[in-house]
Amino acid sequence: MWPGQWRRAAAAVALLTGVAAHAEPIPSLPPYSGAYQPQGVDERGIWMEFDERERSFRDSTVVINDAPLKAYVMQVVCRTVGAARCQAVRPYIVRDTSLNASMAANGMMIVHTGLLLRARDEAELASILGHEFAHFELRHSLHGFRHDRTAGGIAAWASVAGAAAWAYGGRSAYDTVRVARSVQTSAIGSTYAHTRDQERQADLLSMAYLKASPYDPQRFPDIWDQLLDEKDATAHGRRQRSTRYDRAGFTDDHPSTIERTTTLRQLALAMNKPGEDGKERYDAALAPWRAAWLSDEIKRNDFAGTDFILRRMAGAQWSADLLFARGELYRARGHPRDLVAAAGFYREVIARDPTRAEAYRGLGLAQLRSRDAGGVAALRTYLTMKPAAQDAAMIATLIQ
Amino acid sequence: MPLRLCTLRCACILLVILPQVAWAQERTGTKPGFVLPPRSATILLIRPTISVGAQSTGGMFEPDADWTAQARENIAAALTLAQTRLGNQVIVADEPVGPAAQVMAEYRALFSVLADSVMRYQFFAGNRLPSKKRKGQFDWTMGPGVAEVARGTRANYALFVSNQDQFGSTGRKFLQVFAAMAYVSVKSGEHTGMAGLVDLRTGDLVWLNADMAMGGDVRTPEGAKKRVAQLLEGFPGSAMPASQTVK
Repeated sequence: MWPGQWRRAAAAVALLTGVAAHAEPIPSLPPYSGAYQPQGVDERGIWMEFDERERSFRDSTVVINDAPLKAYVMQVVCRTVGAARCQAVRPYIVRDTSLNASMAANGMMIVHTGLLLRARDEAELASILGHEFAHFELRHSLHGFRHDRTAGGIAAWASVAGAAAWAYGGRSAYDTVRVARSVQTSAIGSTYAHTRDQERQADLLSMAYLKASPYDPQRFPDIWDQLLDEKDATAHGRRQRSTRYDRAGFTDDHPSTIERTTTLRQLALAMNKPGEDGKERYDAALAPWRAAWLSDEIKRNDFAGTDFILRRMAGAQWSADLLFARGELYRARGHPRDLVAAAGFYREVIARDPTRAEAYRGLGLAQLRSRDAGGVAALRTYLTMKPAAQDAAMIATLIQ
Repeated sequence: MPLRLCTLRCACILLVILPQVAWAQERTGTKPGFVLPPRSATILLIRPTISVGAQSTGGMFEPDADWTAQARENIAAALTLAQTRLGNQVIVADEPVGPAAQVMAEYRALFSVLADSVMRYQFFAGNRLPSKKRKGQFDWTMGPGVAEVARGTRANYALFVSNQDQFGSTGRKFLQVFAAMAYVSVKSGEHTGMAGLVDLRTGDLVWLNADMAMGGDVRTPEGAKKRVAQLLEGFPGSAMPASQTVK
């Protein structure tokens, strides 16, 4: 063979075995025409189903229908993928504490509040939204559907072949059953492998969007690094093994986070493009929501993970709302030492912002549980400051 | 992650472990003592949940936009016709906007949960909840708040309809034949439907009919008529001479 042929053959083998994933360059942006309409039976069917789901999803109570917040998320999408592309997107902000977002075939984009809380700046959010948009632009729902259908057909035929061998016996029956099982396993495994490949493609295309956008591409691997650290904190708090260096398993629909962050870091370094992080805009837009989302986050019953997030958000300087959230977190776990710590956090909040009634409530409850009579005074202050509070009657019974 | 319609994994497992599901022994329930005198009711038809498509070889649902559009049209026409024959007036619910839309979405979701509970805990006689065991009992409600969905209409009942049709694809039919040769039973096609009537004054579910194996090809007007006749089987007030109801 000629040297060129060798190289091509090696590249083909590498592609087939997935070795080349790390070396793949960032794709150039595909041509885009607006107002895309679904083509063919499969795609039209999928769009119809998602259209129908979106109808009820749009009016669901889990969706935060706040015009300024939605407009802000939309702005980030537009800054990331460009003014023409973003017209296809309808963002829905969902009250869900997990770091996640998803994209339907018809342009319905679901963004979890857990992502908005964890992303530290606009560039981090942009990289995830770019990834989701890439799923849309690459029509991953459709391709996944077709792949699953083919694999399902193969698995079904294999199981029938196995059953037939079992039923009719014969000398090679055992071998046939074994081969059928193995074909079935491969077919099912291929559906997961296919979604993992789609995730890799979406990561790459998101990088291409970031390259053309005003954002700093380094923030994309940053958000994954941060997620790995948070997972480690959770595992440590629960006395579990760290899964940081685990490979993707048979039924994983995403590549391992460590693989993604390593690949993305290489790409971002190679790109060497300065960019903005949009932190001021991000903090300003999400400020009205932070307290509510922190309160949701505390209810996840993941003490170490949530404490990690709070510490990371605070950095060197604890703001009053983060201190308050930390007080609530410690008070919720409620070991005697936690109650002492919580009372300390609430006192700091009060020192900074004496008008914050909820801090008096937390302080009073923490003190009462520590058998500290001073709690009564704190709860009284809470009731004087907020006589119409929802829990006023219940708190009143504690201080009689 | 890209959103998927349905996971193949369930289909594969279904194929292996659920050759034949023994479905509910009972298919219909009516609140004791409830009668709907003919020519008395104005029924609000809530946007039916309809989805029509094919069933792939592996048992996956393949939605088809054209078939669904045809079915939506045919079923709506057949429903109106059937109710007009009973003398009841059917009004189709408008798509609400603003806070009313949220109320409508909540009650549609609540109805699907309610209907699911009825099928699971009432129609399955062996799985009946202790509070639902009295003979002839049919005691389910959505609460009087459901009246909100009919605000501004004269409707006194709300009719919820849902329907899913999976027509076995050629591949599925072939699989069925070969599987039968290997003594494995594979179902080709699945046609499920459900209809429920809610009294808007009290919120009580007065009638529910759920069928996991329905007849009639909803893609044609005639088939839809047959399907609607099956959906409305045992509809309160329809206990008239059979010749009067649609076939």
